[in-house]
Amino acid sequence: MKGRKKIPAVLASIGFVLMFAAPIWAAQLKSPDTVKTALRLLVQVSNDFKRQITNKNFARVPHEYMEYTEAADALRMGIKDEPADFKAKVETRLKAAVAAYQKISDMSAKATDPEPLMAEHAKAVTAMNAVFDLFPADMRPDPNLPPPGGRRGGKQ
Amino acid sequence: MSDSVLSRRRLLLGSLALPFTISGCGRRLTSDPQVVNLFIQSDGDFLAFRPDEMTCRTGAMVHLTFHHSGKFLSALHNWVLVMPDKMEVVDKDAEKTDGEISPDDSRVIAWVPMCGKGETVMTQFIAPAPGDYPFFCSTPGHAVDMNGILHVTP
Repeated sequence: MKGRKKIPAVLASIGFVLMFAAPIWAAQLKSPDTVKTALRLLVQVSNDFKRQITNKNFARVPHEYMEYTEAADALRMGIKDEPADFKAKVETRLKAAVAAYQKISDMSAKATDPEPLMAEHAKAVTAMNAVFDLFPADMRPDPNLPPPGGRRGGKQ
Repeated sequence: MSDSVLSRRRLLLGSLALPFTISGCGRRLTSDPQVVNLFIQSDGDFLAFRPDEMTCRTGAMVHLTFHHSGKFLSALHNWVLVMPDKMEVVDKDAEKTDGEISPDDSRVIAWVPMCGKGETVMTQFIAPAPGDYPFFCSTPGHAVDMNGILHVTP
């Protein structure tokens, strides 16, 4: 019984430590700004994929894929001075994410229906989120946040 | 009256007119439209303008400079100023030409050509009647996020 009572206290302690550990980890990254920018760019380009598919603008999808690889390269640049094991973990998941977006790009060449592409896009987002999971929560972009530009010029 | 007298009078009148002509030139300079220099850039590689709101007076000669401040992505950007409520329709039409703006489009007030990361482009135009005019990037898919307002004051 005594041990059971201790469990919540231990969990709370771990949570408390993790809450402070994440920002410290982020601060320990050699290029936190580049990493943060790269992660946001991956989300931005992923959202562009979705927009082009929804608008049936399939001819633009390969261009979005090219930009996705550029955002991936930005992330590689951001972690180039990190420990090798961390870089390897990121690279494995990043390759999987890039491959998932490449599949959408390849499919777009013959696409007439957005639905199959949207299904692949959902899988690609899952692969991208697996990359984000390797970084502290405060560095991960929120895909639900509106972009900084907003809708000033358009109809409100 | 002899020709020589007429010539002398013309010369005298001409020399009297010279100072007025010069002072007239000076006055004409002050009545030229006010020149306004505006600078706008992309928010790095993100789909946004910085600033996304600008102001100038109606009738002003606007010299606008746009800088693509991206570092990582090869996405092209431009700056297109259109008549009120015409952003969506002009953007939709530009999709057909991969974002290129037709110089004959009467809905477009001014624009700069597409440019890549690190590039700077310029345009100039006379500020239209007072009102709020939307501007955006006409690369397909960008306008929904990358847009802003030019406030033209009386």
